[in-house]
Amino acid sequence: MALIEIKKVDKIYNNEGVATSALHDINLTINEGEFVAIMGPSGSGKSTLMHILGFLDRPTNGEYLFEGKNTEKFDDEKLADIRNRRIGFVFQSFNLLPRTSVLDNVALPLLYSKNLKNQEERAKEALASVGLAHRVNFMSNQISGGQKQRVAIARALVNNPAVIFADEPTGNLDSKSGTVVMGILQRLNNEGKTIILVTHDRTTAEHADRIITIRDGEINTDEKVHNKHIAKEVKIDE
Amino acid sequence: MNKFYYLQAIKGLRRNPSRTLLTTLGIVIGIATVILVLSAGAGFKSYINAQIEEFGSNTVTIETRIPASTKQRAQGAEGGDTAGVAVPITTLKKRDVVDIARLPNIAGVYGASIGQAISVYRDVSKNAFLFGADASRFAIDRGVITKGRAYSEQEDRALAQVAVLGNDIAQSFFGEEDPIGKTIRIGALNFEVVGVYARRGSGGFSNDDEQIFIPASTLQRKILGTDYYFYLVASLVDNTRSQVTKLSMEDVLRQNHQVVDPVKDDFVIKTQDENLSTFNTILSATTFLLIAIATISLIVGGVGVMNIMYVVVTERISEVGLKKALGAKNRDILYEFLYEAIILTLLGGILGIILGTFLSFVVAQVANAFGFAWKFSVPLIGIVISVGVSTAIGVIFGVFPARNAARLSPIEALRYEP
Repeated sequence: MALIEIKKVDKIYNNEGVATSALHDINLTINEGEFVAIMGPSGSGKSTLMHILGFLDRPTNGEYLFEGKNTEKFDDEKLADIRNRRIGFVFQSFNLLPRTSVLDNVALPLLYSKNLKNQEERAKEALASVGLAHRVNFMSNQISGGQKQRVAIARALVNNPAVIFADEPTGNLDSKSGTVVMGILQRLNNEGKTIILVTHDRTTAEHADRIITIRDGEINTDEKVHNKHIAKEVKIDE
Repeated sequence: MNKFYYLQAIKGLRRNPSRTLLTTLGIVIGIATVILVLSAGAGFKSYINAQIEEFGSNTVTIETRIPASTKQRAQGAEGGDTAGVAVPITTLKKRDVVDIARLPNIAGVYGASIGQAISVYRDVSKNAFLFGADASRFAIDRGVITKGRAYSEQEDRALAQVAVLGNDIAQSFFGEEDPIGKTIRIGALNFEVVGVYARRGSGGFSNDDEQIFIPASTLQRKILGTDYYFYLVASLVDNTRSQVTKLSMEDVLRQNHQVVDPVKDDFVIKTQDENLSTFNTILSATTFLLIAIATISLIVGGVGVMNIMYVVVTERISEVGLKKALGAKNRDILYEFLYEAIILTLLGGILGIILGTFLSFVVAQVANAFGFAWKFSVPLIGIVISVGVSTAIGVIFGVFPARNAARLSPIEALRYEP
């Protein structure tokens, strides 16, 4: 079943009267349970596409059906609700709250769904699933980069979303930590989670089942991966 | 109070300790300054009021005045008082005191002359001010004699050489020694010290603590060689009738001084209300000045809080972006900042009140140590206004930038660079 379906989407930025087209005439369908990599050089529009798909930004023109519903008329509140319950984000620079415990960071989306029941247990469960049960009470600045990204994945998972968007999740990590992160994403995908990965790096992209390349704001290629890289999720307790 | 936003706000404040400190400090200083300024103003007013009290609350003074000459009158001048004029008016006599004392509504009246003479006790010599007053002064003046006694009507009439000392001059002559019964020399004469005043505090326009009080007739006849007073002071039974009493006093004096035309009066009578008008002018000017200073402090403090709030909210726009990405609604963002601003301004308000009160207390103590009759008080209106204004500023400038940030799309906020 189609989780995401966009038709004829344009994104035009208007900077001080100068219109710049970031995306042009994008048509794309992503089904539930897919692992898709969006690839392209910097400035190609791949991040813009992810932001639109993740409701961090709105398209200028075109139609976006999410879980079968047209989102054009959704207000800010409804979109916030979708981001909160149906979508998880993993960013290149982790974006954890400073001077805040790992547990509180992971529980943040639960706070905004005003779901105060079993918060702590659910946050701990999410942390356990990325192998960080032993770092629950650490502060976000007391752990390594790789661990930070795993905390970010736990935060993305905690509200049990339909899809996880990962924007260059290994970009700030050494290769070993990067492999661990990709391994976790692959496992989550095997467990049925839809994963959308944005990267400029082909090797990273080849951990997905399908690669969409973007060039100059348009879809260039859209193809299956034949020799998929399998990241062994090594159990490491740094 | 919503527990969720409250907890988020507390976490937010803990995450940004330097911002929390700076903002609180700005508010604390603003509020403390306003409280200090207003409290110091109230203290200064209390000091001025004490001076007015010293004057006596229902007294009338009769001062001498140079009558306007015919020529001056033609030019519209009214004549002036005798201050700084070489020609003394010599018409205020014992007879005036006696006649005024008989008028209705007069509780008491005394005449006073002033002189100066080298005064000596053993090896201590001082060029002392001599205050020659009728014995009736002791019933009117508020000074308290703590050692010995006042001189009497009989001693005054008999030109007795007795003296009551101001506290400071008694101290410099006698130190720990008991002055009562001791003899001091004033000019060429020996005086017996019969009494010593309690300390009155500097504070006035003349320092009573440094003066020697002797009978008026003794000063006039034996030291100055005159028979007139410099001024008279009468106390009234009922101050509300002061204008009527003033008129009958004028009649008595005109008759005694043989003045027919009031323009040629050689005296001027000032009721307490007329004397107070000068003080009131000073007081209202002071009040105006204080309000101006307090307003400026409030504006300066407010601009400080405004700047800090604006900068820190701007710095946190990417945090707003992250929270929006995780599903925070615009309302959530706004309320978090609102609660933070309220907690900050309340905290700063409380600390500011404590600091301002403490500093005001210190100022009052220092003023008292220097001998000013300075009452310590913290004006409630100052607290209300300063806390109100700083809270309003803190909340407005904490929430407005936050509202703008909340309105950005999540990605714009996430990527925002201050």
